[in-house]
Amino acid sequence: MPLFIALQIDLPSSNLPWLFAAFAVSWAVFFLYVIYMTRRQQEMQSQIRQLHRALEQQEATDAD
Amino acid sequence: MEEHLVLARSEGIQKVAFDSTVKWRELFRANGRTNIRACLLVLTGILMLVNLYMIFMVAPTDAVLGHVQRIFYFHVPLAIVSFAAFLVVFVASVAYAVRRDPKWDNLAHSAAEVGVVFITLALITGMIWAKPVWNAWWLWTPRLTTTLILWLIYVAYLMIRSYAPNPSKAAVYGAVIGIVGFADVLVVYFSVQWWPGIHPTPVVGPLADAGSLDGTMRSVLLFSMLTFLALLTYLIIERMALKDTEDKIRDIRITMRRARQDGLPGD
Repeated sequence: MPLFIALQIDLPSSNLPWLFAAFAVSWAVFFLYVIYMTRRQQEMQSQIRQLHRALEQQEATDAD
Repeated sequence: MEEHLVLARSEGIQKVAFDSTVKWRELFRANGRTNIRACLLVLTGILMLVNLYMIFMVAPTDAVLGHVQRIFYFHVPLAIVSFAAFLVVFVASVAYAVRRDPKWDNLAHSAAEVGVVFITLALITGMIWAKPVWNAWWLWTPRLTTTLILWLIYVAYLMIRSYAPNPSKAAVYGAVIGIVGFADVLVVYFSVQWWPGIHPTPVVGPLADAGSLDGTMRSVLLFSMLTFLALLTYLIIERMALKDTEDKIRDIRITMRRARQDGLPGD
């Protein structure tokens, strides 16, 4: 009578790597999408700063 | 010259966004929706954690497929919620075609982009499910084929918009594809009824057979759908806010360029 029985490949538990893969890919894609949006937002911030500088310069010119 | 200064101020950008240390969340405070988005983000995060607990701790293990069946609680909601996103695209496209209000176009564009993310994940998780269960990554069954076509339609939607010569034409092209493309969502949904095959039939909704799903499994599935619906809503609202900012910056730049071309100093 063996003490331990090796898990066979066709048993349901052997499918855990597929389960892990599906959840890992889903979370990874969502995080990548959020990172993409955050970077776009940072680009927008940079452009707004440029516009701000331009407008400030113009206001200074108009004041003169 | 005054024109672009007035425009910049009137859009509420200058007051909030021109602080060099401003954070992106503060930028969107100009729209007065930051608190709603923050609440939605927290709610979605909590729902996601509870959803994971329910999938792994509450939902029973399938007697035939084993643990891999739990992919179902991600795969099905991702697909259903992507259909919801494309329904939003359809409704917003119709509204834009009728009223020509850019806000509807903004909604359609944002929903299409987020919908593509969801349908891409539905396809990927489906393939990961198929490999151990069907022993193949992909089978050209009607459901899979029509879903791939759906993915291509909305990727084309995003590409055509980005290649359009100007934003107004992009909005018109987008509205046409958003209205026509939605027909494929119906084809995908009814494909398992029209052409029965290896793909499982619906387990929830009007086409589902009574008793096709265990009660606990059904509850977990519905909760997962609710969670992904909250995530979809949050992502669409965030994307809309981002696009709104992009549009405002573009308008200000155009106004400044015109002012400069008229012989007035600009940026």
